[in-house]
Amino acid sequence: MLGVATASAITTTAPHGARRANLVQVGTIVWLSSELMFFAALFAMYFTIRSVSLGHHQEWPRAELDIPYATVNTIILVLSSVTCQFGVWAAEKGQVRRLRFWYLISFIMGAVFVAGQLNEYRTLVSEGTTLSSDAYGSVFYLTTGFHGMHVTGGLIAFLFMLGRTYAAKSFTREQATSAIVVSYYWHFVDVVWIGLFATIYIIK
Amino acid sequence: MKVQGWMFLLCGVFFAAADVVYWYWSKEPTGTTAMAISVGLAFMIGYYLLFTARRIGDQPEDDKEAEISDGAGELGFFSPSSWWPLFVVLAVALTFFGFVIGWWLFFIGMFATIMSVIGFVFQYYRGHFSH
Repeated sequence: MLGVATASAITTTAPHGARRANLVQVGTIVWLSSELMFFAALFAMYFTIRSVSLGHHQEWPRAELDIPYATVNTIILVLSSVTCQFGVWAAEKGQVRRLRFWYLISFIMGAVFVAGQLNEYRTLVSEGTTLSSDAYGSVFYLTTGFHGMHVTGGLIAFLFMLGRTYAAKSFTREQATSAIVVSYYWHFVDVVWIGLFATIYIIK
Repeated sequence: MKVQGWMFLLCGVFFAAADVVYWYWSKEPTGTTAMAISVGLAFMIGYYLLFTARRIGDQPEDDKEAEISDGAGELGFFSPSSWWPLFVVLAVALTFFGFVIGWWLFFIGMFATIMSVIGFVFQYYRGHFSH
C-alpha cells in the first residue's frame, strides 16, 4: 500500500468514524448493477419472443425440459453461494486456510453446475433443440448460455483469488477485499440464475 | 452515505411506479421487463449503500457542519500506472476477432487473454512489489 495519510491540524468538528466505505466493494456493486441490465436485455428478449410466439398460437416452451435435473443443478449453485459466504466470514477474520477451503468447495460446486448445464445442452441438442432450430432454442441457449459464461468467469475469479493468497507471504486486507468482491459477483450470478430458473423452468 | 443510499432507493421507487403505468398503457413485455429490472438496479445500489452506511457509521458527508479536510486520508489503493489493461483489451479484441476470422485465432486470443489477465491480477504481487 502506497497510500499517504494526511490529517487536518485543527479539528473543527467531532471526529468521524475512522472507517470508510471500501471503494473496491462499492465499485463492484455499481458494476454488478450494470451487469443486471445486461441480463435485463436477455429477460426482455425472452418475454418478448414468448409473447409473440404465444400470439401466433405456437407451442412454448418448444423443448422437453428436465425440471428435476435442473432443480438439482440449481440447488448445487445456491449451496455454493452459502459455502462462498462461509469463505467470506473466514476472510474477514483473516483465516486464510478456511477461506481457501470454502472457496475451493464453492469452485467445485460451480464447476459441477457448469458441467451439469453442458450435459443438459447435450441432451437438448440430441432431441433437436439447437441455437438455430427455432426461436425457443435461440432464446433458451442465449439466456442460459450467457449465464453459464458468467459462472465460468466466476470460476476463473475464484482461481485468481486463490492464486493471490498463495502469491503473497501473508494474508492482507487487500486480499480479503478481493475475496469479498468475488463473493459479491458469485451471489449476483446465483440470484440471476434463480430468476432465470423461475422464468424458464417454472413460469415457462 | 445515507443520502446517496436514499437517492438510489427513491430512483427505484420511481422506476417501479413508471413501470406499472407503462404496463397499464402499453401491455408490452420488453419495456416492462427492462424497467422492472431497473428497479433492481437502483435498489441493489441503494440497499448496499445504506447497509454500508450502517456498518461504517457517519461519514463527513452526513455532517452538515463538516469541513472538506474531514474527508482527508487514505481512500484506497490506486495503481499509479499499468500497461496491463491495454494488453487485456487487445487480447480480448483478438479473441472476438477470432469469431470473424476463424477458431484458430479465437484460441490464440483466449490464451493471450488468460496470460494478460494473470499479468493484470498479479501485477502488485510480483518482482518489486512481491510481499
